Amino acid sequence: MLTSTLTIYTVLMLITFFSLEKGVELDHHWVEFDDVRYHIQVSMKNPHLLLLSVSLPTPSSETIFVRGLPFGAIEAIKAAYGNLVQILDPPRDGYNLTLKFNLAKLPANPDQKHAFMVKVASIREVVLGAPLRVILQHLAARTVAPDLDPPVALVHRPNECFFLFPQADKVTVVYPMRFNDSIDIVLATSFLQEFVEARRTAGLHNTPPCSWSVTPPLEIKGVPSDALSANAGFVTFVIYPRHVEGHKLDRTVWNLSTFHAYVSYHVKCSEGFMHTRMRRRVESLIQALDRAKPDAENSKKTSFNRSFKRLGLKDSSTN
Amino acid sequence: MDPSPRPAVVIDNGSGYTKMGFAGNVEPCFIIPTVVAVNESFLNQSKNLSKANWLAQHNAGVMADLDFFIGDEALTKSRCSSTYNLNYPVQHGQVENWDAMERYWQQCIFNYLRCDPEDHYFLLTESPLTSPESREYTGEIMFETFNVPGLYIAVNSVLALAAGYTTSKCEMTGVVVDVGDGASHVVPVADGYVIGSSIKSIPIAGKDVTLFVQNLMRERGENIPPDDSFEVARKVKEMYCYTCSDIVKEFNKHDKEPIKYTRHWRGIKPKTGAPYSCDIGYERFLGPEIFFSPEIYGSDFTTPLPVVIDKCIQSAPIDTRRSLYKNIVLSGGSTMFKDFHKRLQRDLKTIVDTRVHLSEARLNGEIKSQPVEVNVVSHPIQRFAVWFGGSVLASTPEFFTACHTKAEYEEHGASICRTNPVFKGMY
Ligand SMILES: Nc1ncnc2c1ncn2[C@@H]1O[C@H](COP(=O)(O)OP(=O)(O)OP(=O)(O)O)[C@@H](O)[C@H]1O
Ligand SMILES: [Mg+2]
Repeated sequence: MLTSTLTIYTVLMLITFFSLEKGVELDHHWVEFDDVRYHIQVSMKNPHLLLLSVSLPTPSSETIFVRGLPFGAIEAIKAAYGNLVQILDPPRDGYNLTLKFNLAKLPANPDQKHAFMVKVASIREVVLGAPLRVILQHLAARTVAPDLDPPVALVHRPNECFFLFPQADKVTVVYPMRFNDSIDIVLATSFLQEFVEARRTAGLHNTPPCSWSVTPPLEIKGVPSDALSANAGFVTFVIYPRHVEGHKLDRTVWNLSTFHAYVSYHVKCSEGFMHTRMRRRVESLIQALDRAKPDAENSKKTSFNRSFKRLGLKDSSTN
Repeated sequence: MDPSPRPAVVIDNGSGYTKMGFAGNVEPCFIIPTVVAVNESFLNQSKNLSKANWLAQHNAGVMADLDFFIGDEALTKSRCSSTYNLNYPVQHGQVENWDAMERYWQQCIFNYLRCDPEDHYFLLTESPLTSPESREYTGEIMFETFNVPGLYIAVNSVLALAAGYTTSKCEMTGVVVDVGDGASHVVPVADGYVIGSSIKSIPIAGKDVTLFVQNLMRERGENIPPDDSFEVARKVKEMYCYTCSDIVKEFNKHDKEPIKYTRHWRGIKPKTGAPYSCDIGYERFLGPEIFFSPEIYGSDFTTPLPVVIDKCIQSAPIDTRRSLYKNIVLSGGSTMFKDFHKRLQRDLKTIVDTRVHLSEARLNGEIKSQPVEVNVVSHPIQRFAVWFGGSVLASTPEFFTACHTKAEYEEHGASICRTNPVFKGMY
């Protein structure tokens, strides 16, 4: 879940676009979790130019945005897309970033082409994950990124951020966990406690150590208190150089930047699971009631197989 | 976060395919089969465990809960492994399995659209025959499991009507002929309101065409692996079938020039990997013919679709009939056969004209009645007309006020979902 680093859809669309290559008009809006929005446009007139606009979640006041983007984003975009991309300045109205891809310059080899499009589809990770990547790359080299005043706040949801406390040998990551719905808060709290416990007992030695607390951990004591208002506690991960070596870096960046979405997905799953159990109980009660009915009535009912089914539905929802 | 500035999520769960995407777009983001593959082994395992071992049971349940796939992925999984069981939660346009449906929505939202359901209003669709209880169930799942801020459940035929009239004037009176995969309905709508008493259902839809084509090919002894034959029949149907104007003439045409009319299908046997091929002949026009001559398919139902439409309109209030004949809108994948609308238009016109002549003859030609205009409307987005109509309506400001909100739900309970008001843009 949520492990894939790209919007499957974008890829699909882009690929169909390539297979057509006749020039199709494209104008599509898309909203992803944590309020990341996309607008994809291709015009008939210039079918080889793809405009991709991205809007990021509104940063909270602690977060540093340089000209509408997290620090390191521009460099990350250039590194990822090279000379195929042009960053439009200013971006389209309502967006943080507009990229113009020149598809005529794509590699001819289909595999390379596909790999590039997958990278285009991972734009969210490239831009939002840029600061995290800079800090973790320094960790891999066992240094601390200069010019950063810890703790560093990074936006991951509208008006919400998580915090990094970089040191040369480890980076501590702290998530204040907030949920809107009261049931969600309860479920999330117990999920997080179980999550931490499970990682401890399962003996997963290679995964980053992780803890949960009701109050903010020491690392982020200096942060203004409203940024620390959490209603489902605080989760802390400690990342060591071995977690960001080589190819592990990408995965770690993605997992850390979508941690909140991961938790809320599991909360929704458990809610669904509870409903399933509740429905099953109601059904078994109805069955018990049906069995208790006199025989005559029973046989009458089964002869109307279809309406019986409807009736069952009605009963279970009003019970 | 205030969700109303974000586009609403529009999901049309059909018996065959689900169309989903964001309001305001012209096309849905995904069209995938409405099917869930669940790993039942966990559940069976949990049954064998002793009752006392609640935790183990719980965990098995949780695992089963996470181990499932939907859409094309589900079909692939079940083909490769026997641990997954396929479940089609929507049958004949009605949700039959709510557990599977809930899981299906979960994946649609989190894994396909990848949006946070708390951030978007939702527009879902239902068949005109859906019961209010079922609507309550939907509301419960949407508000309690997914915490959606607002929900509107629209009748799919009404949406299909809205889809036809976005460019020209918005006319919300007409008959929607929705022929999907598992259900066909003829639904008269006046000013955005469904005339419930006149709805006609037909027990023949896309799946039946597929079964019929499959049967024709099997009986002719075409060499198709049995495991694959339904899927092959479906593809053959979607690619090569067309509506003819006269079945006898069409047989003659095929017999005279078989080379011109016969198509070929090439496939690979799933088990051995050996290639095979087969011919496609009469089934090209016989498949869709079951809507016009249902007796060739079975003896249970023998009323041709044009007759059903005519009966439907004749049973509607008399002052709406003329405008209903004037605006017969097609929707659903199984109306996509080439020339389907032409045949429907012609047959229906014949029925109407015959009746007019008869009544004129009865009156000895003393009163000349005004000719009845019959118009079958076909448009390029027929396949997902319902979704498109939803996309259009859910991007109007009125939509957000017509929705039931989470606060209303919490105050009044699930029963508020029983009714959904018609709003501007719908009439
Ligand atoms: N080009 C085509 N020609 C003919 N049939 C098609 C075509 N494309 C799709 N179909 C058929 O249309 C059916 C699916 O239509 P649709 O998506 O409207 O149904 P649904 O909404 O899933 O079902 P329902 O509305 O009955 O619940 C399938 O049987 C499919 O094989
Ligand atoms: Mg449908």
